[in-house]
Amino acid sequence: MSAAAGIPAPAVRAVGLCSGWGTGVAALPADACAAAGGRSLVGLGRPAVQGERFRRATRECLWALAAVEAMLEDGRAERAAIAGERTALLFVSAAVYGASNRAFIEGTGGGTHFAYTAPAVVPAEAAIEYRLRGPSVLFIGGAPAALRAIWYAATLLAARACDRALVLGVETFEECADLYARARRRTAPPLVEAAACLWLEPGDGRLVLQSARGRSRGDGARRLGEMLAVGPLAEVALRRHAGYSDPLADPLGLTGAWRGEVTNLIFTKGAG
Amino acid sequence: MSRPERVAVVAAGVTTPIGQDLDAFWSSLLTGASGISSIERFPVADLRVGRGGEIKKLTRIKRWDRVPDCRATRLLVSAADELIAQVPLGPATVEPSRLAVVVGTALGGVEEGERALAGEGPRRRLRGALYDSPGDNLTRWLGARGPALTVSTACASGATALGIGAEMLRQGQADLVVAGGYDILCRFVMRGFDALRSLTRDEVRPFDKRRSGLLLGEAAALVLLARETDAGRAPLGYLLGHASTGDGSHISAPDPEGRGLERAARLALAEAGVGPDDVDFVSAHGTATPLNDRIETAVLKRLLGPRAPSVPVNSIKATMGHTMGAAATLEAIMCLLAGRHGQIPPTRHLEVPDPECDLDYVPGTARAARPRLSLSTSLGFGGCNGALVLESA
Repeated sequence: MSAAAGIPAPAVRAVGLCSGWGTGVAALPADACAAAGGRSLVGLGRPAVQGERFRRATRECLWALAAVEAMLEDGRAERAAIAGERTALLFVSAAVYGASNRAFIEGTGGGTHFAYTAPAVVPAEAAIEYRLRGPSVLFIGGAPAALRAIWYAATLLAARACDRALVLGVETFEECADLYARARRRTAPPLVEAAACLWLEPGDGRLVLQSARGRSRGDGARRLGEMLAVGPLAEVALRRHAGYSDPLADPLGLTGAWRGEVTNLIFTKGAG
Repeated sequence: MSRPERVAVVAAGVTTPIGQDLDAFWSSLLTGASGISSIERFPVADLRVGRGGEIKKLTRIKRWDRVPDCRATRLLVSAADELIAQVPLGPATVEPSRLAVVVGTALGGVEEGERALAGEGPRRRLRGALYDSPGDNLTRWLGARGPALTVSTACASGATALGIGAEMLRQGQADLVVAGGYDILCRFVMRGFDALRSLTRDEVRPFDKRRSGLLLGEAAALVLLARETDAGRAPLGYLLGHASTGDGSHISAPDPEGRGLERAARLALAEAGVGPDDVDFVSAHGTATPLNDRIETAVLKRLLGPRAPSVPVNSIKATMGHTMGAAATLEAIMCLLAGRHGQIPPTRHLEVPDPECDLDYVPGTARAARPRLSLSTSLGFGGCNGALVLESA
């Protein structure tokens, strides 16, 4: 493991989760393979979002909005509480751009669709809708990207570059289902479309990010299905729902693996 | 709280339409050699504009045995080859688990997706279409076993990657970081910008009254970052500050007042511990679209205040096109080379002043000046903004 100095850890104010299993944490299964009943992909469909502005928006953009809305509901907060330049938005995904890129390559999207092929447009729709105008970065990759985004959120909070940070993740697979079917093992946990958003604020304790080359056991994917970058965010949602006071910390921190890199986000009690 | 240790830019490597090493790149910037040509690598006959900054042949590496048949990867590897020619990155220099890689891109491996969906080559090519595939390939080629990240803030990605890499060093997550950006010209992106009518049939004329749009280019640019104490005696310079922000305004156009860009610049200056009065030179995004150049000018006037007319500002995009994910890294390297060589490259094709763009854009020929502190600004789709504050050695 490469060592890393700790930084003040953030606290989780709220979490929003939408997944192919249903709305919120209560819908998550105990065993993804059993719950999938032989399906290799558990889809989310298209959320019902009203408004002319969203006429052209892609499904993944709308799920980004739905995740932020679910987070506000969990935090019993109004939109005004997150609006403005003191809110950072960190976006994570491994594959969210697949659908729009494929549509543009195959000519089904039209010229104006091109802008939607940029991964940055997915969080941008949320930023526009909720007037999020602070620091913003997109981390591309699987579960470690989400852990890296939480780390960067903590860094921004510690530097007082923002007062709160949202870590937003979206993964959709349906439009490329045939391509994934060729690439994945039949015994692998199902791909589960999901969108989640964490609301982080300054907290107590320290946070350490470590990474090493190797393999992870993949317990999260066995339970929830393969949510790629959204997986760790769903884990945090589960812990919050289970009543842990420090969902980032309890019980042992968060682990994610991707492309041979295993990343651990470790929380320790103590002075922030 | 004590200030964090400074991050040094130890070395750099570039693959561009105007040169495939730092010397050629710098010389072309100064002399005004053009990297713009008719695109030959893929069909463009059906597009309004078929020109761009295309690299006709990768000349630096002769054998590609260990490198996937992916153009984005090969541009990155070519830039990395120049980097490691200056600082070998073997176990004698750095423990592989302490070497991190952070790359930024607007397009990732999308051309691999285009090729696979067209039935060209094996289906496994699809795996290369993931945005982080070229970065992963670079990590393997370098033998790095530390953290490997891909960030994507559209055309500001090359700035974000440097900023994240510097933060990893400050927090002790790595001892050396290879950071930078890349993107290639492919049919996907040419079709897209053509459809948006963003491409010009004229020359690219940043800040000129007649400016009518951009041309795209392809490039890879990498820097080797280290904490100052590990940097050796002759770094290129220092990365003092970074910020990436979102406009929250429009999915493809910048905020009409450039508020997000201004926030990025102010945050980057604050991280650097300097003020606008310390800025000697600005490398602008300068795409030559009517909106971008006007907004950027307004932001710089607000930021620099009464000093604005006397601070040189340039754009190098007329020389090789807008290289998207590579652009901000190339421009950061240019800032450091300007300080080293005492010359600021000109903004090419700027001939007719625009009353709305009334700063000193270094038109015509290179300017003899040795900027110590530079600000580099970038913008991209999704309301992405990036700012870097650099200090020459």
